[in-house]
Amino acid sequence: MSDLKTLTFAFMDPPFESERTVTFFRLLDAALERGASVRVFAYEGAVALAFARQAPHGNAVHGRDAAEEDHPLTREWIRALQEKAAAKDLSFEWINCGLCVDERGVNDVIDGCGRGGPPDLWRYASDAFNTLTIGTR
Amino acid sequence: MSDYLFIQSQDPFTEVRCAAQYQLARQLRDAGHRVHVLLVQNGVAPARLGARSEVFDALLGGGVTVSADGFSLKQREIEASDLKAEVTVGDVGDAVDALLAGSKVIWN
Repeated sequence: MSDLKTLTFAFMDPPFESERTVTFFRLLDAALERGASVRVFAYEGAVALAFARQAPHGNAVHGRDAAEEDHPLTREWIRALQEKAAAKDLSFEWINCGLCVDERGVNDVIDGCGRGGPPDLWRYASDAFNTLTIGTR
Repeated sequence: MSDYLFIQSQDPFTEVRCAAQYQLARQLRDAGHRVHVLLVQNGVAPARLGARSEVFDALLGGGVTVSADGFSLKQREIEASDLKAEVTVGDVGDAVDALLAGSKVIWN
């Protein structure tokens, strides 16, 4: 029987490249705001969203150091959503496609993000109340 | 009858497939389904007053309800008063509401 408050999202865009990434994170935040638990299956470039070694940088052109630039990192957005879910007593699960991770060498991910494969997407989608797939054009 | 919500991130000025996406929404509406299109990102572009897109204007006239994500509008300095009359201001949260209501939500 499906959990009436769990939504699954499948996403394949890498960090720092597409406006879709921002919209995707806004959707996740909106789901938590509405009291829904969230499950994410990240594949292709999206497996780098949780890469632990993402680093902020300054902007020499504008004369700003790293702190002033306050460069947004997707791993921090994921962490913020994990914390938000915990504060609301909701679950927030994240699985990266293992093959996609290996191809890109981004095995070092933040805590709370796991490794799996397409069967996990099938399980996520089967168990969820609803699923949204955000494909890259 | 089913409920459909299309999250429309693509726009007809840069994506030729957009016309077919609009057409699918209209066809579903014509088949008796309830269809809403939520414009996001550059998908909001044809909703601006004065934007000339025959395929988008046909969508507006085809019984499909259309809203534009307020965040995407703000990023592009488009005010609500700049929108075509049939387009309302919405939010990506509307898509989540649709998911939680059991609608078929499709990303374009």
